[in-house]
Amino acid sequence: MSEKKIGYYPGCPSETTALEQDISTKAIFDKLGIEWVEIEDWNCCGAAEAEDPRLVYALNARNLAIAEKDGLPSIVTPCSICYFNLSRTNKALKSDEKLRAELQGIDPSLAYNGSVVPKHILDFLVNDVGLDELKSKLVKQVKLKVAPYYGCYLGRPPETAFDDPDDPVLMDRLIELIGGENVPFSSVKTLCCGGPLMMTRADIAFEMARKILQTAKDANADCIVLACPLCGMMLDAKQPDIEKALKIKFEMPVLYITQLLGLALGIEPKKLGLDKNIIATKKLLEKVM
Amino acid sequence: MPIKAWELDPHFKYEIMQEPGGEHLTACYQCSTCTLGCPITEIIPSYNPRKFIQMSLLGMRKEVLTNPDLWICAICQTCTARCPQNVVVGDVLSVLRRIAEKEAEAGNITIESPRPLFEKAFLHTLEKYGRLYDMGLAMEYYPKREGSKIKGMKAMMDDYRGFGMRMFKRGKMGPLGGHGMLKGMRPSKIKQREVMEKIFEWAEEHEK
Repeated sequence: MSEKKIGYYPGCPSETTALEQDISTKAIFDKLGIEWVEIEDWNCCGAAEAEDPRLVYALNARNLAIAEKDGLPSIVTPCSICYFNLSRTNKALKSDEKLRAELQGIDPSLAYNGSVVPKHILDFLVNDVGLDELKSKLVKQVKLKVAPYYGCYLGRPPETAFDDPDDPVLMDRLIELIGGENVPFSSVKTLCCGGPLMMTRADIAFEMARKILQTAKDANADCIVLACPLCGMMLDAKQPDIEKALKIKFEMPVLYITQLLGLALGIEPKKLGLDKNIIATKKLLEKVM
Repeated sequence: MPIKAWELDPHFKYEIMQEPGGEHLTACYQCSTCTLGCPITEIIPSYNPRKFIQMSLLGMRKEVLTNPDLWICAICQTCTARCPQNVVVGDVLSVLRRIAEKEAEAGNITIESPRPLFEKAFLHTLEKYGRLYDMGLAMEYYPKREGSKIKGMKAMMDDYRGFGMRMFKRGKMGPLGGHGMLKGMRPSKIKQREVMEKIFEWAEEHEK
């Protein structure tokens, strides 16, 4: 368990489409007694749309520099893409003095010395807070059949990965810990959700998401659990569109891992934003509460 | 179509390797692991990352840069993770897209995909506000993609009618959405927006 205050980097969807991820992340921080502060005046990480690595480095240098200036040892983010961009920028800047100087030349606010560690929320919960500590705070068994979906950037690319590329397990461990049952999901747990193609090739994106939703349904899962707002947008918010386009019914609730863990920690569903998921979570909650 | 050796560009591979992400291109020995694991190839069989690498190595510059398949990569990193030669395949493909965009901007080629327009519209909102602004993105992207304001607005409505309503009902977007009044409808602006301007100016300088 880390002693110091952590920096929280919510990412852009936290203000709109992934509101419930933001709400539930803050709620579990508070419940676990983790001291946190939002990175002041943070900017977008560039997502998957900034294809030029130099642009990604400059955008994220600013966020890292703010955290450093405020004496924060780490930046924790609930978004897989934000994590990837923060983490690869951190790696590049730490090993490249010339790049650091060049970025500082753009604006003094980009001056960064490499003292901050970017972390994805899943890595933070399992490896920093730790399963023992979490176990000691559990107040409720969440006996659900869960399809743990990881998507990209947690187990790959190797440069920034913190879980296994082919068979990641961190989310599985959390689900077991809180009394859930992981349904067989290995065949699709690391497949891409199709999110980055949503606005330009929806046909391909829909088919990618369909495979994941279908596998969860075939495995009789009560819900899919994930840890990225783009995956959440694709599998939850777009699910009715996918159903309509492909003439299939899934009605598969999709939760953020922070929401599921929050239930086990005894936080009220509303304080975890469980009224904000697009596919209704009401029936699911009846099984748990 | 057979390759015409006299039309190949022997410098193309060096052009790619000069760009960040393209450095390891020549390590490829054509094993096809990238393509076998690709989730896009599974859906669109013509999509072939290995081929892009080999064509680049051969110097088939125009064929590579004008191939519409270049724009259906989901940047999922599976090819990069599995490549036994650490070619960083995903990054090489990204370099190819960036070169194609520059060529398109210079009027030398035409790109048959709306993806550059989408990425630009996305980045414009960052440059302006420091954060993604979905509405602003859509208002720029759809009219450009459809070639007219009216058609663009219609396409946007078609895509957003259901989705937007769902967001509205759950209080995520719309007049009462987000963390406060008008969030989601209006951009969330950072204070140091002038730094964003400087960053984008610098990045564009580099792209030239």
